[in-house]
Amino acid sequence: MGDLKELADYAVDYAKDKTDAIIARCMKTSGSQIRFSHNAIDISKRWELLQIQLFAVVNGAKTGFTERAVSSKDDVKSIVDDLVVFTQILPDSQFFAGLEDKTQSYPELKGQYDEKFDDFVEDAPHIINAVAEEAVSAGAKRVAGALRFDKSEFFFRSSLGPEGSGKRTFFDLNVRALQEELDYSGQGLSCGVKPSKSKDDMIAAGEKAGRFSKQAIGAVQGKPGIYDLVLSPAVGANVIGSIPGLANPFAILIGQSPLGDKIGEQLAPDFVSVTDDPLFDGGLASRRFDWEGTPSQKTKIFDEGVLKSYMHNTSTAKMFETESTGNSNLTGWQMKLLVPTPSNIVFSNGDHKVEELLEVSRPTIYVTCNWYTRFQNSQTGDFSTIPRDAMFLIEKGEMKPIKNMRISDNTMRMLSNIDALGNDRTQIFWWEVRTPTIIPTMRIRDCKMTAATQ
Amino acid sequence: MDGKELAEYCVDFGSKLGARYVEARYVNDITRGLAYRNGQPVSGGYSPATGIGVRVLVDGGLGFASFDRLEKKLAEETISVAFKMAKNAKRKEPIDMGEPVSNEEKWQMKAKESLKDVDMETMMKLSDEVNKQMEGLAAFTFLINPKVMDKFIVTNEGTKIESQLSYILMYSMLTAKAPGGSEQKYLDLTLAGGWERIRDTKLVERVGDEVERLKTAANEAVKIDDLLSKPIDMIVGPEVAGIIAHENVGHPSEGDRIKGREAAQAGESFWRDLKIGESRVGSDAVTVSEDPTIPNTSGFYLYDDEGVKARKRVLIKNGILNEPLLNREFGTKFGMRSNAAARSTGFNREPIIRMANTYFEAGDHSFEELVEDVKYGVYMRGFKEWNIDDRRYQSKYTGSEAYLIKNGEITDTMVKRPIMETTSIGLLSALDAVSKNLSFDFPGTCGKSDPSQGIPVYAGGGELRFRDIRLGGVG
Repeated sequence: MGDLKELADYAVDYAKDKTDAIIARCMKTSGSQIRFSHNAIDISKRWELLQIQLFAVVNGAKTGFTERAVSSKDDVKSIVDDLVVFTQILPDSQFFAGLEDKTQSYPELKGQYDEKFDDFVEDAPHIINAVAEEAVSAGAKRVAGALRFDKSEFFFRSSLGPEGSGKRTFFDLNVRALQEELDYSGQGLSCGVKPSKSKDDMIAAGEKAGRFSKQAIGAVQGKPGIYDLVLSPAVGANVIGSIPGLANPFAILIGQSPLGDKIGEQLAPDFVSVTDDPLFDGGLASRRFDWEGTPSQKTKIFDEGVLKSYMHNTSTAKMFETESTGNSNLTGWQMKLLVPTPSNIVFSNGDHKVEELLEVSRPTIYVTCNWYTRFQNSQTGDFSTIPRDAMFLIEKGEMKPIKNMRISDNTMRMLSNIDALGNDRTQIFWWEVRTPTIIPTMRIRDCKMTAATQ
Repeated sequence: MDGKELAEYCVDFGSKLGARYVEARYVNDITRGLAYRNGQPVSGGYSPATGIGVRVLVDGGLGFASFDRLEKKLAEETISVAFKMAKNAKRKEPIDMGEPVSNEEKWQMKAKESLKDVDMETMMKLSDEVNKQMEGLAAFTFLINPKVMDKFIVTNEGTKIESQLSYILMYSMLTAKAPGGSEQKYLDLTLAGGWERIRDTKLVERVGDEVERLKTAANEAVKIDDLLSKPIDMIVGPEVAGIIAHENVGHPSEGDRIKGREAAQAGESFWRDLKIGESRVGSDAVTVSEDPTIPNTSGFYLYDDEGVKARKRVLIKNGILNEPLLNREFGTKFGMRSNAAARSTGFNREPIIRMANTYFEAGDHSFEELVEDVKYGVYMRGFKEWNIDDRRYQSKYTGSEAYLIKNGEITDTMVKRPIMETTSIGLLSALDAVSKNLSFDFPGTCGKSDPSQGIPVYAGGGELRFRDIRLGGVG
């Protein structure tokens, strides 16, 4: 941590007189991943990164960022010089309204670091083998997946006062179990912050994937129509769990959110409450403060189904004449922007066992995994997504495997049609869910399922 | 020690550890960018990404090490960890890279006006011109990121390839409001080459044209229920041809999918159960190719990221599966050789099988000839929402700009969001003619793998005519 602090401090001290404000965040990451298919390891990867991120404000309202590898104070000096020169010639930002300028104490956050992480690195290949064996025992013929596990630490300092540090570990495992045929597959997921204590959960993911794959054998073409849907936490996190994350002023301002002008409206049933919770115990995105140094807090987004609040950073809070909710983040692909983003999206747990959700008298389909969600219109929520892996038609108390269908509906209508929540709240993070989402199985009334016409 | 020297040292170090194959890739990638919302600047950024990625093949297991500081000690530590992990994989079936490859070459994407020399004022001036074209929309964004990537690949088999790629990455999200609701369109405007490509391709005018088309669609497109009542003929433009070539043909042709390596991520492929060289998946009119050697495209390269010389690949020839996309590992698994499909998005990603430029080979019809033979149908010029299952068999394309065709003529009636929801074989079998107007109207960012690798590609074709398509999905 000493090196990180030294580099970040140097960046801020050196840049202080050249900028109106600067934030420096120095982060060191050791990451690993094991990918496997056909029950065998395909590749083992290792990343070693030490990067500095800088966000500078120059001449009042010109804002620029940079991110790059750093080794020494000399590197920092040239990075700051480059950034200042670059930012000086930018146009004034019409979106920047300030940064956190108060130095405050930060809430405690314990248990985000696995002290036995290094031992886990040694164990990981054996765990992969155990996961694959469990999937095969449960009925799979082929097993594929990826296990990612990282440890990182960072130091952050703003020229306006706030500073802080943190360290974290995390893992995420995605297991897919298959038969010899292409059609009959099942998925298991496991993620968290303490890999060394999660071996049982990882093996359970293998068992679940194998069991679903076996249950999917003999799946037949589903019949298009209107059904109630039971969505596993993985599917719910992608289709419904993405909505609270759009309580985001930036998304609203660029026309990518269905939640503009809807504060105070009842958009979900009263048993659905959702918070953005950066202090969630074991949350993959848990943190004590945001990218600007605003203390983390829970933000109630949906309270008993009513849209209560948007997530803000300092700039959007000023634009909306409110307070920052501590959701500032430097984010984006290719081009990073300082905008609000969700941390952990946390749904209220339900009181139904999953088996109860599946005890139905109406035409119902149980969807265990999905991918490739795309929108016709992000403002209205018109979308479609493809169930993948095991999917079941529930008829006369039996689960019959079906395949080759598409959910083609509207996310806002589906949110309002949630019929019941399970009591199996689970943290989801995988390829299709990039915001850690803690969410139970849910049942939704009257959803449109389509299929290929030829 | 500079990046190239350190890459060479990594190869020596990996070989001394006992790796059978060692490949080091030094990448120096410089991206600058500006972001606008509704014509107003949001922020700017400058991100050099420099580092080295090393692959080692040890006892039949593959390891990948990457690091961002060009330090000898860090290189040794990281490669040693990857070496150990690869050794511990203890594969029963060893990975085999096939015959050694030893190419030495220097190549670069043609750029008359180097992107490194383009100043911020020039970028801002262009941005203002583009933003002006979008005025009148309810919401619009514009991101511009010129990017120059220098690469040096060296292996213990004697390969040494130096290259430079130049992209002007540009993206827009447009929202047009109309009394009947809003319509949105995502534009990927990415160009490959130097700054002259902005003028050569008439970028500003093209944006203006797309904006006007979206506004018109928002105001005028109507649902036509009769189109759902019976099979109709569909003609699609080069943008839609491109996405079909990419999704329904390119992805399932990827060797790693066919053999199951991507099973838990991007998925497998319906090609797995078919016979290459024998199985028919489309009509005689379907010939789809993949060619990285086309200048001024995002998929351009002359040697892939394993140092294999690039060439054109014909994926489907007259409706019959012809050739999969292969890297060295999967070339061996197929009993063939690599056809140079290995690409990586950065120093911190392994090279995997990727598309480059995927397209329907041009036919011999004019567009007018395609239309004049349609009594009742739809011309879908562009698309918006789309998806396809992970075997690449069931796809959906929703039209963003579509017109009713009646009695051999395109009418002024715009059709609201027509949906082609079909299987790959169902769709390709319904194709009866391709126009001669080959155009790469679909620049895209192709996603695959974990961690994700979004890579620039082009796709296209001439206009395609499909017979007896039942629109709308069912349900």
